Order: sequence, then C-alpha cells, then structure tokens
Amino acid sequence: MSDQAHVPTGHDLAPGEEEQHSVGERILGYVVGLVLALLLTATSFFIAGTDLVWQPSIPVALIVLAIAQMGVHLVFFLHITTGPDNTNNVLALAFGLLIVFLVVGGTVWIMSHLNQNMPPMDQFIRMHS
Amino acid sequence: MLGKLDWSAIPFDQPIPLVAGAMVLVAILGVLAWVVVKGHLPYLWHEWITSVDHKRIGVMYVLLASVMFLRGGSDAIMMRIQQSVAYQSQGYLPPEHYNQIFSAHGTIMIFFVAMPFVIGLMNLVVPLQLGVRDVAFPTLNSVGFWLTATGALLVNISLVVGEFARTGWLAFPPLSGLTYSPGVGVDYYAWSLQISGVGTLVAGINLVTTVLKLRTKGMNYLRMPMFCWTTLASNLLIVAAFPILTATLAMLLLDRYLGFHFFTNEAGGNVMMFMNLIWAWGHPEVYILVLPAFGIFSEVVSTFSGKPLFGYRSMVLATMAICVISFMVWLHHFFTMGAGPDVNAIFGIASMIIAVPTGVKIYNWLFTMYGGRIRFTTPMLWSVGFMVTFITGGLTGVLVAVPPADFLLHNSLFLVAHFHHVIIGGVLFGAFAGFTYWFPKAFGFRLEEAWGKAAFWFTFIGFYVTFLPLYTAGLLGMTRRLQHYDVAAWRPWMHVAAIGMGLLCVAVVCQITQLVVSIRNREALRDRTGDPWDGRSLEWATSSPPPVFNFAFHPDVRGEDAYWAMKQHAKEQQLEHHPEPEYEDIEMPRNSPTGFVCAFFASVMGFALIWHIWWMVILGVLGAFATFVVFAWRDHDEYVIPAAEVARIDRVNVEERRSLVSMAGGV
Repeated sequence: MSDQAHVPTGHDLAPGEEEQHSVGERILGYVVGLVLALLLTATSFFIAGTDLVWQPSIPVALIVLAIAQMGVHLVFFLHITTGPDNTNNVLALAFGLLIVFLVVGGTVWIMSHLNQNMPPMDQFIRMHS
Repeated sequence: MLGKLDWSAIPFDQPIPLVAGAMVLVAILGVLAWVVVKGHLPYLWHEWITSVDHKRIGVMYVLLASVMFLRGGSDAIMMRIQQSVAYQSQGYLPPEHYNQIFSAHGTIMIFFVAMPFVIGLMNLVVPLQLGVRDVAFPTLNSVGFWLTATGALLVNISLVVGEFARTGWLAFPPLSGLTYSPGVGVDYYAWSLQISGVGTLVAGINLVTTVLKLRTKGMNYLRMPMFCWTTLASNLLIVAAFPILTATLAMLLLDRYLGFHFFTNEAGGNVMMFMNLIWAWGHPEVYILVLPAFGIFSEVVSTFSGKPLFGYRSMVLATMAICVISFMVWLHHFFTMGAGPDVNAIFGIASMIIAVPTGVKIYNWLFTMYGGRIRFTTPMLWSVGFMVTFITGGLTGVLVAVPPADFLLHNSLFLVAHFHHVIIGGVLFGAFAGFTYWFPKAFGFRLEEAWGKAAFWFTFIGFYVTFLPLYTAGLLGMTRRLQHYDVAAWRPWMHVAAIGMGLLCVAVVCQITQLVVSIRNREALRDRTGDPWDGRSLEWATSSPPPVFNFAFHPDVRGEDAYWAMKQHAKEQQLEHHPEPEYEDIEMPRNSPTGFVCAFFASVMGFALIWHIWWMVILGVLGAFATFVVFAWRDHDEYVIPAAEVARIDRVNVEERRSLVSMAGGV
C-alpha cells in the first residue's frame, strides 16, 4: 500500500478504476449498458417462450444472447477495453477464458468417453434377456 | 448441545496417537508457559502474530511448514516401519490406523508443508526482489497465513479428537461418501482443506497483484529476477486452480451433509466426475509447487556460478508454457478410468510435451554453470542434487505418461516412487536450497555450512536408498497403501526402504542441529553488509534483516541482475564521494489482529461443522464476519516512519557497504 501506489510501473488501470471522464459521460455509459442488458434479458425471456421462430434455433439463440450479455457487462460495467491501459485486465480475462475452456471442454470430452471400454449396454442387456 | 461429539471421540484404546497428542500438547503448553513467564507475550503479539510485514509472514509460513514437516515425516517413518515388518503379519499398526496415517501423510506434506514453504519463501523474497516496500494487500496476506494455520490445526486436532480420513490424500468417493466413511475423518479432511484453501487463494491473489502492479522504477517484466516470474506463474495457477478444489470439495460436503448426489453411485451421481475435477486442480497443483522451486534454483545457480542466468528469455517462455500446459494434462492421473484411446493418447502426448519446457530449464541451468566460477555452498549442493534427481524422476514420469505402460504401473509403488522422486527432488530440495540461501536475509546471520552439507548428503543418499527400492517393488507388482502383504519377493526391498528412511531421519537431525548451532554462533556468522553470497538481485541490496520498510529509497533498475550492475557501478567510481541523499518519511501499513481473530473464528466454525454443533457454527461465521466489518471500518491503516528514523537505520547499512567496497578496491 502506502506510497508504492505512486511508483510508476507502466500505465494500466485496475478493474473499476476509471479514466478521467466527466460525470455526465460516465452516467451515459452506465445507462447505455443498463438498457442493453435489459434488452438482452427481455429478448431471452421472449425467445424462450415464443413460437415465432424455428424451435430448434432457440437454444442457439439463447447462447448467443448470453454471450452478448457477458460482453455488455465487460464493456460497460467492468470497463474492459482494448486500450493500452487495459493490457493486464484483457490478459487476465483471456487467461481465465482459456482455463475455463480447457477445464469445461476437457471435462465434457472426458466424461463422454467414460464408457468407451465397456461393452455396449443395450447389446449386453439383449444378450442376457 | 455438542452434536456428534462425546467421550467416545477420544481414542483411549489406541496408545500411539494418544501419546503423540499428549506429547505435542505438553510441548505447546511448555512453550506457551515459557513465553508468558519470560514476558515475551506482548512482543509475540505485536511483532509477529498481528504483523502484516511480508517478511515476518513469510517466516511464519516457513515455520508452520517446518513443524508440519516433522508431523508428516513421523507418519512416513511409521509407514515404512509397518511395511518392513508386516510380511505375513499385521505389523504393529491396525488397518484403520494405518489408513489414517497414509492419508494424513499425503494431505499434510502437500497442503501444510510444501504449500506453506513455497508461499512463505515467495512472501519473504518477492517484494524485496521487486524493490518495493510491501505486498499489494498486507492485511489480506496475514489473513491468508492464519487461515492456512487453521487448516493445519484442524488436521492435528483429528489426531486426538475423533479420527482422520482413511481414504488417501484425495478422498475419492464412493469411499469418502457417507455410506463407506460415516465417521468424521473425511469431514476433518474436507473442512481443513476448504479453510486453508481460502487462505491459499488469498495468498495467490496477493502475490499475482504484487508482481503485476508493484514494481520499482525500471523493473520491467523482462528485468524481473527469475524467481519473480515463477512466482507469477505459480500464483496464476493458484488463482485458476484452487477454486476447482473448493468447488469439488463443496460438492463432496453437500453429498455428506445434505444428502446430495453429486458423487454417489445412486440417484444419478457419478464418482468419476470427482476424479476428473479433483485432478483438474491436482495437476496444476504439482506445478504450483515446483515452479517456485525452479525459480529458487535459477537464483541459486546464477549467484553461485557468478554468471547471469543463461537464456533468461527462454526460461521465461518455458515457465509460462508450463503454466498453460499444466492445465492440459490432468487425465494422465486416471488413464485407467475407462476413456477410449483418443482421450488417453491426447493426454499422454500432452504429458510428454510438458517435459519439453522443463528440459529447456535444465539446459539453462547447466549452461549457466558452464564456464562459471562455481562455489559449492549448501544451496548450490541442493541445486545440483536437484538436477540429477529431477532428470531421472522426470524420466520415470514420461514413462508413466505412456498410457499402455500406465495400465501396468497405475497405483503401484512404482508410481509412489515416481512422485516422491520429483516432489522430494524438486520441491523439497528447492525449499531447502531457498531456506539456506535466504536465511541470512531473513535473520541477519548465515547457517553453519558443515551441518548444511551433512544434511544435504544424508537427504540425497537417504532419498535414493528409500525410493529406488519402491520402483523395484512396484515393478514386482506391489500396489500402494498395503497394510500387510504375503509376497516374499517384496520384503527385502521394504527393509532397504526402511534403512533409507533412517538416513533421512539423520538428515532431519542434521537440519535441526544446523539451526541450533547457527543460532548459538550467530555473532561469528553475522552478515553485516546484507550481501553474504555476492548476490545479483535486489533483495541483497538492503540490510540483513531488512528494515521494516525494506528500502530507504526505491531502487532504480537499469537492466537484468539489477544489484550486480549497481555493485559494478559502485566499484568503478568508489573514490567519488556521494552526497547523502535527502531522506523522506515513509508510510507503512499498521499491524492488525484481523488475520488472527478471523482464523480463530474459522477454527471454531470448522470444528463445529465437523462435529455438527450448529450453534457454534453460527458463532464462528458471525465472529469471522464481524472481524471483517471491524477491519473495513478502521480509520487509520497506516503509520509514518519519520525521515530521521529512516536515515538513522539506513546510514548503518550504507557505512557497512562502503567499507566493503573500499576493502574490495584495496585488494
């Protein structure tokens, strides 16, 4: 803590820290974020219950909307940008995404392979019945 | 009123844990009584227990690890004796006790020895190497340490109140489920790891932030000492992997406490998911432990060869490559689980690939030594011993990474020998190297070399005598965790391993003697300049032990091996008289009992959860929360060290150094 905070170690901002913007600009950012987030949420609820679109496309649509929602949160509320002041945050996000992808993807793959060395269960049951 | 707790929880019929527990209790009470009678209690409270100084917290971590090392080591001695006598007999340990011992040995050695040891060294050294005055979150650091201590405390309480898990160090269900482990053993295991896991995560966040955000002037990423890089990689892994452990154990606890079915055999549960998740944490954990050790060896080899580290950038790249690839290999712990050839082949290949960056590191250390003027001090002996041991241990690892071979070796003593080979040869040798290397920095005097070398040779030889026989016994078909056996061919190897264990005990005695002798001869071993090894990085640029503020001025870094460059510069212009710089006030974080109080309530909560004492759980949670609220509302979190005081402390060190430079110039 203390005065080390003032030691210049390159420019980057922690999540939640903001560059100097006027209050109006900042409020505008949050309002835009809120509206977009609400819009995406409402759309998700609408799509889940509607029969206006082709039914099998609904899960895909929900996934797309969910990812868009995450993007809105990251940009408007967590202030992750691509600017040079945000390198650490973007790298941390990328690292997190990579690990989540590896662990979740790996788990799904591994668990789906679980019974590879077992005789197929339906044949097995037919043989013994 | 007291949940499941009653007098039957104390194992009156088992003399070994009871006597051991009584001895430990007497020792603790004795030390406490001595502290109180001598009037050291206020000192201990104000200077250590409530300290938020990263150096003191680092020392306490290492102390905790050392004490727990004796506990885990005692377990190891008991197991080796048991296996050497239990041929066609029951030995001297009944099965339920033997099962607790091997579970406790693994749990303690990984979570309460290896982890606190490396975290302690990182805490002590990294801020000094970065040239800063403290870590990013000093009070959080203290909380992390005390929560780790809480976990260790709970494991030790299980020795005399109730029992410990009989499930092995990773508590696989369904054995660890309520049906097959109805006792409190698994609950002791799970809650102590949950609480200390929070501590570890906190330490990880703290150190990542410190490395990323607090570096002195000019300390670019590519000028950081290698230990800082491995610290960064290791703590990134902590932040990414420990939540997986927490979530997995939380699901196991839900199964046990609230009748959930994540890992049961009925109602749609899947025990294989536990193996998958626990190893998704477990494999990165291996690298969490060994990466800091790699960093220590890099520092030691470079210092005692008198050369900059060979291939610094390739070393950085290798470290970060390991950091990512370590998340792609976890299936090699359960090749035999039933997955098809695609999955096994991919993870087998990934496991072999991760040996490549490790190999790069070995060559870097060898080439650093090549052509250098090598001083074979104790830390250097540990490093060279590591290289020999780790290469051979790593090769057996590549062997078990081949799925068909693994089907033969899985769960055999060959595997046990392999992971002890790399963990002892890598992490433990690294911890001891770092301990001897940085001891003078922490305490202001060096350790007696002769006893250190004796400890190294006994450990080195004792290790091979203990664990090479286990490879053979494993190839002869001996599985791990056997309480007794009837195969005559295994017996001689178990005898040899027991003899090796004896050598390792001698090594531990040498370590303790080294410490005692060095403390008694501390005046003769005093390190006055703060640079006892002719070091290269910034931790040697301040006095030993460093003042609470580490550096009177923020060092100005102009390249790699920052302190080495400063020394060269000083020697070149020694005749010039430098005017004394203007000292300034320094603000430092105030000490805080938050960590200790919070861990006290966490201990209460953990114990109550294990024994189902629900009112006490509520008490513990409320207490811990209230502690945080009080901390969050504090008014003064810093105090000022006046410039005059800074000047007084700094001048002493500057004088010592100046006399050193003029002496070196005179020769």
